[in-house]
Amino acid sequence: MSSADGAAICTNGLGWYLYGVVGAGDKSPRLDAEGLAVDPGHDVELVVEGPLAGVTSRVSLEEFGEEMLPDRLGDAAWLEEKISAHERVLERVLHELSIVPCRFCTVYRSERELRRFLAERKDALQAALDRVHGQVELGVKAFVDRKRFAAGEASRNEKIRDLQERAGSAEGGTAYLERRRLEQLVSSEVERLRSTASRDIHSRLLARADDGLTLALQAPEVSGRDNQMIFHGAYLVDVSEAEFKATLGSLAVEYRDLGVELELTGPWPPYNFVPTELRAS
Amino acid sequence: MSSRDLESYRSGQPAQLADVLERVLDKGIVIAGDIQINLLDIELLTVKIRLLIASADKARELGIDWWEGDAFLSRGNGHSELEERLRKLEEKAGLPTSPERGRSDT
Repeated sequence: MSSADGAAICTNGLGWYLYGVVGAGDKSPRLDAEGLAVDPGHDVELVVEGPLAGVTSRVSLEEFGEEMLPDRLGDAAWLEEKISAHERVLERVLHELSIVPCRFCTVYRSERELRRFLAERKDALQAALDRVHGQVELGVKAFVDRKRFAAGEASRNEKIRDLQERAGSAEGGTAYLERRRLEQLVSSEVERLRSTASRDIHSRLLARADDGLTLALQAPEVSGRDNQMIFHGAYLVDVSEAEFKATLGSLAVEYRDLGVELELTGPWPPYNFVPTELRAS
Repeated sequence: MSSRDLESYRSGQPAQLADVLERVLDKGIVIAGDIQINLLDIELLTVKIRLLIASADKARELGIDWWEGDAFLSRGNGHSELEERLRKLEEKAGLPTSPERGRSDT
């Protein structure tokens, strides 16, 4: 579509923000709460097109327009508010329906374009929807408490025990060097733990999930935790979540003695299990 | 499943903003072609945005202004001199040198 065409269509300056796609035959999610949408002045509504429905709300193109958006994205407060709204709407839908989530700021200039997209990409969207039907995404993180890990290691690892004793009894520069050696030894043991634990955790959780993948580890500034993250994964899991959580529970008990804590996040819309790109024709 | 298992891992807390950002900005279906803006074009920006939001409060608490300049890539810059001295000391002592500060293996 040419930009002149677009300008002619959106004379009222409103676009359509698409949160995600659901099956139209399913029951309708409750989306009538006020101020739920990314543009709180407009309601969240379903745009039904054939067997599919877009979860949408109208947005001001002044705010969500192509020209303004790069600047807006640099505005942390704006971004946090809108991202939270995007996620809130999807979570609301997820309570009742399976959903294919869209990436942030998927905005159409007109209802006609939105409907055309739903109609033309029907097959690909339906396939994506079938894949996540009756499923949600769960996130799993593992953190290691270095002190607890080192204390536990000392009982198993003679070298660490030795260094701990020497560091404790030495003085001045020698003590510093011994502590340094100890730190390095612990670091390499943590690294070994990270490698074995992430393989073990991932394969056992994957066996209880429909699909799964590992995600980038988060630095402490991002995770908000002082302890080092040693594992981060996302799994596509049946909405009942029971089997998956049972396995996670066993893993958590097993790894606790190593100073490792597991954390579950979600249920999330299945962001990590939908195609990353869907070309409109 | 026993109740002990239920309590063995953390869960049910409000989602961390960083987790929401990682998903909403980087994942989810992307419709190329006829939406009005392709967010992929500005994806580079989001790496910094996401760190900025998640970390600004904590960093401020610690009195660190690492987000000034190229925050993401130059983490730990304020300590580089100290680290260099430490490394030299370690070399003299015949110790393996300190590991690089920085991101975990993302």
